[in-house]
Amino acid sequence: MTASFSFHAATVRYDGRAALGPIDLSIAPGEQVAIIGPSGAGKTSLLRLMNGSLRPSSGEVRLGGRDLARLHRRELRSLRSRIGFVHQSHALVPILRAGQNVIGGILGQRGLCAAARALLWPRREDLEEAHALLERVGIGEKLFQRTDTLSGGQQQRVAIARALFQRPMALLADEPVASVDPARGRALLELMISLARERELTLVTSLHDIDLACSLFPRLVGLRQGRIAFDAPRSEIPPESLRELYDLQGLRGGEVG
Amino acid sequence: MTCRGCEEVRLVRRPRPLGPRGATVLLLLAAGLGSTLALGLTPSGLLPGEGGLRVAGRFLLAALHPALDYPDGPHPDWIPFGLKVAQALWRTVAFAVAGMSLALLIGLPLGLLASQVWWREECLGGGILCAIGRPLLVTVRILIALMRSVHELLWAVLFLAAFGLNTFAAVVAIAIPYGGTLAKVFSEMLDEAPRDTVGALRDLGAAPLSAVLFGLLPRALPDLWAYTFYRFECSLRSSAVLGFFGYPTLGYHLELAFRDAHFREVWTYVYALIALVLLLEAWSAALRRRVVA
Repeated sequence: MTASFSFHAATVRYDGRAALGPIDLSIAPGEQVAIIGPSGAGKTSLLRLMNGSLRPSSGEVRLGGRDLARLHRRELRSLRSRIGFVHQSHALVPILRAGQNVIGGILGQRGLCAAARALLWPRREDLEEAHALLERVGIGEKLFQRTDTLSGGQQQRVAIARALFQRPMALLADEPVASVDPARGRALLELMISLARERELTLVTSLHDIDLACSLFPRLVGLRQGRIAFDAPRSEIPPESLRELYDLQGLRGGEVG
Repeated sequence: MTCRGCEEVRLVRRPRPLGPRGATVLLLLAAGLGSTLALGLTPSGLLPGEGGLRVAGRFLLAALHPALDYPDGPHPDWIPFGLKVAQALWRTVAFAVAGMSLALLIGLPLGLLASQVWWREECLGGGILCAIGRPLLVTVRILIALMRSVHELLWAVLFLAAFGLNTFAAVVAIAIPYGGTLAKVFSEMLDEAPRDTVGALRDLGAAPLSAVLFGLLPRALPDLWAYTFYRFECSLRSSAVLGFFGYPTLGYHLELAFRDAHFREVWTYVYALIALVLLLEAWSAALRRRVVA
């Protein structure tokens, strides 16, 4: 199953101050979308709304037609266990082996004892799957290596493999290449896109690098001060709206800072 | 708008004759001086009398050749001296290990319950305990404070009066204050550990307890290890001193030897304890290298 997302006048307020929205947006199953915009534009909030870890202050966010705010916590957790989320910091357990971190992807699908057993005394089929996934992301030989001995880019690959281990229906990524050098960042994004294609996953990632987003993603959503500035296929985005997105002069005129 | 902010900052930063920091330092100095005066401390108190000087001399001289046997040589009815020391050492370790194991069993769960981050995760994840979170957190913290506000030797005296010379009571006497101290320090270490992994595990649907146990505990583990080893070292000393109350640890023999003025034997026990602590130190350093590196 592949996930679709839709936002209906969704807003997020922190301490009464509007941070995001109102947002109207829909993302079809299997689409690959890049959310771009300057820092503080609300990209992370938008992604966190999509897996229900943030509730909209008003409006609604639907995943496959189900209103996330109406789900019971347990249902929300089980839904989240099928959504891969790749963070800017790899958010792995440094003292575990790479394979164990990958198997950690099942923590949302099994109870505490079963998960502990799978992590500490992995079964053969779990290990084999973890190895196959690490192989797919290009670091199969690191299966038994301690995670904190891997480079930043390799750790991000482990995080992607962990997300795939969840057998997800969508892959969300929050600035996944911000702590990797540009060449490796590009390779990582290409990997994520090809994974999304071959596994029919909906892929939504936030990026602050416009050039990367334009050259790799078919659809771009520009966020500026919490609102959607544009939402179009990359070929149809006028260059001036890209310029405006990062126009600091314009920002200073607003009520920011 | 920004300019007004700058002015405010400048106002706050203007040097004052005695800021709060300066006042604190002065207060601390005054406290140190005041307590010295109140106790009537003078350097002459450290000068030993005629007899004291002689005893001190004998005691220090004995350090150079610790006893390797009983003062009158091997005794047919007594166990060999070396065996006696080994037995005392072994029992010291046994009391310390038993006490620390129990203390860990108490300290880990209480440390988790006393940490802010655990309650944050529990409540974010909609855990069942969240409803009674605040009162339970306060209760646990008070309990921990009570446990560690009484020293293990005081607990031992208390239990001695209640249960007599009871091995289990001695172990519990160590476990209570040590459990409390472990819980307090563990909770602080958990609160200071990086939280990105625990957030990531929650994002993939992990329950609060799973997220904390697999996302937070491993990140705090090197610190937890190091502190547990340090406390184990402390528990060895406590276990040795428990001997002064009649438990068969190093302290028991130490006290007897001291009372009989067998200073060379005293030094044997002291050296044995030092060797034990150094051994533990080497072991913990080796383990820590493996966990950290």
